[in-house]
Formats: sequence, structure tokens, C-alpha cells
Amino acid sequence: MNLPNYFLADLPPEATLSPMMIAEACQTLKRNREQYLANRSTQSLVNFLSELAENWLEPEFQFRKFALENSATIGFSRATLEKSLDNFFKQLTRENFHALLVQEFSDAKRLDALTVTVAEQKQNRTAIINAPEFQVHIAAGNIPNPTLTSIVFGLLTRSAQFVKCASGSTFLPRLFAHSIYGADPKLGACLEIAEWRGGNHVLENALFAEADCVTATGSDETLDKIRKHLPLKSRFIGHGHRVSFGFVAHEVLYGSRAKKIVATAADDVVEWNQLGCLSPHVIYVQLGGEISPEHFAQLLAEELEKREANEPRGELPAEHAAAIASRRGIYEVRAAHSPETTRHWCSKDSTAWTVVFEADARFQMSCLNRFIYVKGVSDLKTALENADSVRGKVSTVGIAAPEEKAQEIATQLARWGATRVCPLGQMQNPPLTWRHDGRPALGDLVTWTDLEL
Amino acid sequence: MMFVGCRGKPAINKHRMNQELSDFAARLHESIISGFQDENREALALGLFALQFKDNFAYRKICEARGLTPKIVEHWTQIPAVPTAAFKESELTSLAPDKRTTVFHSSGTTEQKPSRHFHNSESLAVYEASLWKWFETNYESRIASCEPLILTPPPELTPNSSLVHMFETLRQKFDAPKNVFAGKISTEGSWILDFDLLLAFFDNPKSKIQNPKYIFGTTFSFVHLLDRLAENDLQFKLPENSRVMETGGYKNRSRTMSKTELHLLITKLLGVPRENIICEYGMSELSSQAYDSAIQNPESRIQNRVFRFPPWSRAQIISPETGREVADGETGLIRIFDLANVFSVAAIQTEDLGIRRGDGFELIGRAQLAEPRGCSLMTA
Repeated sequence: MNLPNYFLADLPPEATLSPMMIAEACQTLKRNREQYLANRSTQSLVNFLSELAENWLEPEFQFRKFALENSATIGFSRATLEKSLDNFFKQLTRENFHALLVQEFSDAKRLDALTVTVAEQKQNRTAIINAPEFQVHIAAGNIPNPTLTSIVFGLLTRSAQFVKCASGSTFLPRLFAHSIYGADPKLGACLEIAEWRGGNHVLENALFAEADCVTATGSDETLDKIRKHLPLKSRFIGHGHRVSFGFVAHEVLYGSRAKKIVATAADDVVEWNQLGCLSPHVIYVQLGGEISPEHFAQLLAEELEKREANEPRGELPAEHAAAIASRRGIYEVRAAHSPETTRHWCSKDSTAWTVVFEADARFQMSCLNRFIYVKGVSDLKTALENADSVRGKVSTVGIAAPEEKAQEIATQLARWGATRVCPLGQMQNPPLTWRHDGRPALGDLVTWTDLEL
Repeated sequence: MMFVGCRGKPAINKHRMNQELSDFAARLHESIISGFQDENREALALGLFALQFKDNFAYRKICEARGLTPKIVEHWTQIPAVPTAAFKESELTSLAPDKRTTVFHSSGTTEQKPSRHFHNSESLAVYEASLWKWFETNYESRIASCEPLILTPPPELTPNSSLVHMFETLRQKFDAPKNVFAGKISTEGSWILDFDLLLAFFDNPKSKIQNPKYIFGTTFSFVHLLDRLAENDLQFKLPENSRVMETGGYKNRSRTMSKTELHLLITKLLGVPRENIICEYGMSELSSQAYDSAIQNPESRIQNRVFRFPPWSRAQIISPETGREVADGETGLIRIFDLANVFSVAAIQTEDLGIRRGDGFELIGRAQLAEPRGCSLMTA
């Protein structure tokens, strides 16, 4: 498949971007937005986006086929990418968009006209929403979903958008942009995709000068640098790195249910090869069930072995494989000396998957790419005490617990500072309405105008 | 992270001082000095493995867990390697506590726990013979009448640095005075440079027209030196045939720059040409070092900088995926089998990546520092 030279990211690698090119691109985007996007109705955009998502779920859709054929170039096996992409596009339905708009704006038509809710009616007021004219997204390179979500939200709120991808990570955002362009060239004309190594101030200053709103994902240091370079008028929405973990209550660790829970834990480890902020580093398993934490670890290893046959992790660059091999070496030594407190299970002749069981419950950062820790704890409180080193940095906690305990667990986690609690197995698969880092999904992008009667 | 120390059966003779190891050390020492014979290497390696398996309790546990014992191992490449990280957690030594006169720690400010490589007079004698012989073999003809300058603190301030111990050994071999150590320790405990001493050395009118200099230092100490020279708008032209040996990376102790940039700056500010800048690769867990030299890559016009260990110490490049040696030109983890590690463990698995080039390797860098994709918060 030959993609036309439509976006800056389509230019051959030897092409050099200049601040002039960036500034011109920004002006063009704004003009196009005024002409083609600013007056589109929310419903027409919802229709467009949900139909596009349906296309992406079609096995014969040319962009999907092209993405899957080239999965290895972005570091995933075909099966892993296929499943991960499907999970993403399945979320983009009319119903989910409607739910999102209602959640964020209380009325799905707020972007189109002055609308009023029952509560507002009582107060004799009404309101309309404006989105920024021009959004800039500074995208991290680990997995594509956040970038695709930003593009979707930008379109939904009728902003012109410039997506600056990290080096080597334009492939999927670029394909998605081409699919937008293919379905509606006018909407595609309101979007730009480019790639350069972050910290190129000459290019970034040209870009930021035009931005009404800048969203960015990356390390705290990266976010801090971006923030410092923004003009005062630009709104900044930064999403720093986050970590996630799982918690399995002892009540569910019985018989076939336990096996199902192990399979859900494997889902979270396998999806996007565990590379997202929502992927678990550690699964805390409560003591006292029929299945002990150590046994859980063993079952998880068996499950990951099975998954490898159908959803292989794929090849890794040497430095990432080396990080896994080195980490395994440490646990091999520990296991040799104290097998009662440390055990590890590894894929044979590869770094495809690794499970480490440790009696020490302290939270441990994984080196990812399907490297998971299982740790035993007496209760959730103990798990949280042991995760104190990452408190305030935790996004998602995937839980497996009896229904009647879920609320209590979620409240405890909320008070501790986690911003999302979901069933184990769904960690890397948040709904469209997900409040990223506990912040409104669309609310931070927009500006309200109230009419008081 | 918790580590429960060596448990299991009561450790009778856990650190039994073994006469056989002492005899091995004496023989190896003699052999290194008089000219190591490659053909003896295999037998020596298997012999040393048998002795270490017998006397090094922590190592034996690791071998047994892998099911590899001297009865099973037939070739030196099968001898179980221990990760360098194991030196942080276990006492990988055959020396009983009361026989340990020296301990070398790994450097680096980010580590929670340093490595511990224990020595006594016999093991230090092997270390010193090994380091000098390989240095001499590589550079002896070029160092006659060199005046050394060492950018680390002196050994009395850094008793746990294997690198400084090596520099001190070289200083003695150069017959240089003790004040050639131009480093000191800051109140925060980090290594800094004594610039007054350095400037005096560079500016000494007596030595200006005389002997070539030989500057030894860590990569970060060179950065400190070059930054300071640049700040003060200073530039020197060291005498012809002067040399630089840099080693050890940055360890978060200075700003980082590429090797090429560093070497260009050394050439610009100290007047030492690239061909006279030598990189050393070593670590506290080893008793031998590798030096790099320019090798023409047959497939391209590029010159590779290839590191080589001495004949009593062999490097292998290991695939992180399969654990087997990679083919020439491929990348993997550097594993070293160092016969000079008599009283600790000879087979060491590093976390450094290299590209296999014949019996040497090009150094890429530390694997554990390769930031994983995705979210990578470091927990303290």
C-alpha cells in the first residue's frame, strides 16, 4: 500500500522540517478548520467517527490490513496488534460517544447550541461549549491508543490538530490520519501528523506559538520542558507517566473461577505487550484462597506460555531483551538461594514472557514486554502500604473480587489515590468515557459560555 | 528488595580457605607474568570451576539450581556465569571473612547496594599482575618516559575502588610520585577534581617541553575537566605522544555526551589526537580489563573500536533471547570468563551490550539503563 504524501510525516526521511513549514501548516489547518470543520454538527462527527471505527474493525479494510501486515515494524506480533486495535475501535460507537458527551457536558448537543438541563432550568440558565480552534498533541511513543484517542477527541470537539509524534512512532497515527482523509478529505485537511525528536525548540516554538491547547504525554521531565515553552494563552494538558497493578481478593481464588481470573491477568499482561501506563507491573494476590499467590504465579506462567502460541509477543530490540535477561538473572540467583521466597518462570529460549513470584510485597517496576510480578499480601491495605513508593503515580488498579466487595475496594483505592479501578483483564482497555488521570475526558479541552436568564 | 541470605544446610567450611585455590592463584600469577599459554586455558578454566564449585558456597548454589556441576560441564563455555548483580546480594567469594583484606565496590550513585568483590593479598597479586601485563602488552612501547596524571582521588581516600587500585598499580609501575592523583572527595562524597593541581600540571614550564603525558580517568572526570577548561577559555597542547585512557561511563555524575563528542573535545582542549585516546572496559567484579583499538570493518569503510581482553580472560557475546553465543556482527550481552577471578567467580554475566567482532566486541552500553518503552518510573 502506497500512502500518498499528504502529511508531513509522509515526507521521505531525508526531508528536513523548518519552522516556516510548521507555521504554514498551522495556518492551513486553521483555515481548513474554519471552512470544513467548525460548523459540522456533533452528530455528523459522531457518525463519521463511529463509521470509521466500524471500517477499522472490518478484516478487509485496507488501512487495517496494512497495519497488521506491518505489525513487526512497530514491535508487535500481528495477533497482539489485531486484538489491541480491535479493543480500541470497538469503543468508538455512537452509544459510547453519546455517553461521553453526556458525561462531559450533561447534554450531547452542547457543542452545537445553547442547551439546558433540568437542574439548569431550575436556575434559569443555559450554556454552550466552544472547543479550542487549534490543538497540538505531543505524543509519546510507547503505544498508539492515547494518540488515536487525542485525534478522535480533537475531531469531536471540532479543533484543527497538529500531532507531533515521538521519533519512530508515527506509523499508526499516520495510518489512522490517512483513513480519516480517505473517508472525508475535508476532515483530513484539518489534521497534521509530523515526527521529530522531542526538544527541537526551533520547530516546537513555531508550533506552540499557534496552539490554543497543547496535550502531551511523557515523562514528568518532558512535560515540564514543554510547559515552560508554551505561550501564556495556550492551555496545557499533561499526562505524566503512570503505573498500574492488579489485586486479586482471596474469595475468588477457588476452583475454575481462579483459573478464569488467571486468564484475565494474562490478558492484561499480553495486551500491547504490557507497554501502556494502564498495564500491570505487579499482581497482588491475597493470601487465604484455595490458590496461593505462588500457585497463582505458576498458573499465570502456564497461561502466558499458552498465549505465546497464539498471540506471540514478537521480537524485541536487543536492549529491551537484554533488560529482561538481566532482570531474570537476578531472580535466578535469588531463587537459587531462597526458593521459599522467590521463584521465577521464563519462556524457553526467548524472553517472550516471565513471571516472578516474590514473598517480598514491595511494589516493583517491571521491565515490561510481558514480565510480570506476582506478590502475596494479607489484604489490600498491605498491598497499598507496599505500593507507597508509587503512590500518586498509579493510574489503574485491576481487581478480581466478589461483587459485594468491589465498592469497598474501590473506595479504599480512591482514597489512596488510584484514579481508575476496573476488572482484571480490562486494564489496558478503558472505556471511551475514561477520565484520564482522573481528569474530565473532554472537559479540560473546552470552554463554556453560560447564559443567565 | 529483600534478599534472604544463603540458607540451607549448615555451612561447614562455607568459606573454607582452600589451598588448591591458593596454588591455582600462584600458578596463574606466574603464568601471566611469564607469558600465558592459550592452550592451557581450557584445562585451567575447568579446573578453576571445579575449585570454585567446591569452595564458593554462594556460587555453588547457583550452579546446582541450574543443574550444572563440574561432573557435567565439559567445556569452558558451559561454566555457569553469575550476573554482576549477584555480587550485590551474595558473598560470591571463597575467602573466609577473616581472610578478606580488601573489598571492591561497584561505583555509581544510583545503586541501592554496591557490589562486593572480596580480595586478599593473593587475589590482589593476581589482579595486579593481570592488569599490568595487559596494559604493558598493549601500550608498553608507547609509554616510556610518560608522566602520568590520574583524574581520580588517591587510593587512601578510595580504598574500595578497583579502578583506583588499578591506577595506583600503574602509577607505581610508572615510578611516578603519589601526587599525580588529581581527584579529591567532595563533602557530599562524590569524586571531584583538584583544578589547581591540574592546571599546575598542564602549565608546568618544566614539563612543557619534556615528557609526554598519560592522563587516566573516568569518563565523567574528563567531562568535568573539559567543562572547566572550556569555562575558563583554556586550551592546552600536551607534548607529542601524550595519551588519554578513559573508562567507566557517566554514572549520573556529569552531563553526558557521545564518545565522539568527548574525544573531539579531548583533542581540541588537550591536544591529544584520537588515535592516542584509549578506552578501557573493566568493572569491580573482574580482575582483568579490556582495551579498545581501531579495527577496519571488512564490510564497510568504517573503523570499529573493538575491545579485547587478555588471553586469560575471554569475552563472549550472548543472545539475551537464547542465552547462546551470537554470530559475528550481532548484538548481545557481554559475558566474561576471567581466570584471574580466582577467589570469587570466573564466569561473569554483565548487563552491558556489545557487538561481537571476532574474539572482541564493540561496546554499546548498559542494558539496565536502556529505558523500557512505556512508563518507566524508577522506584527509589
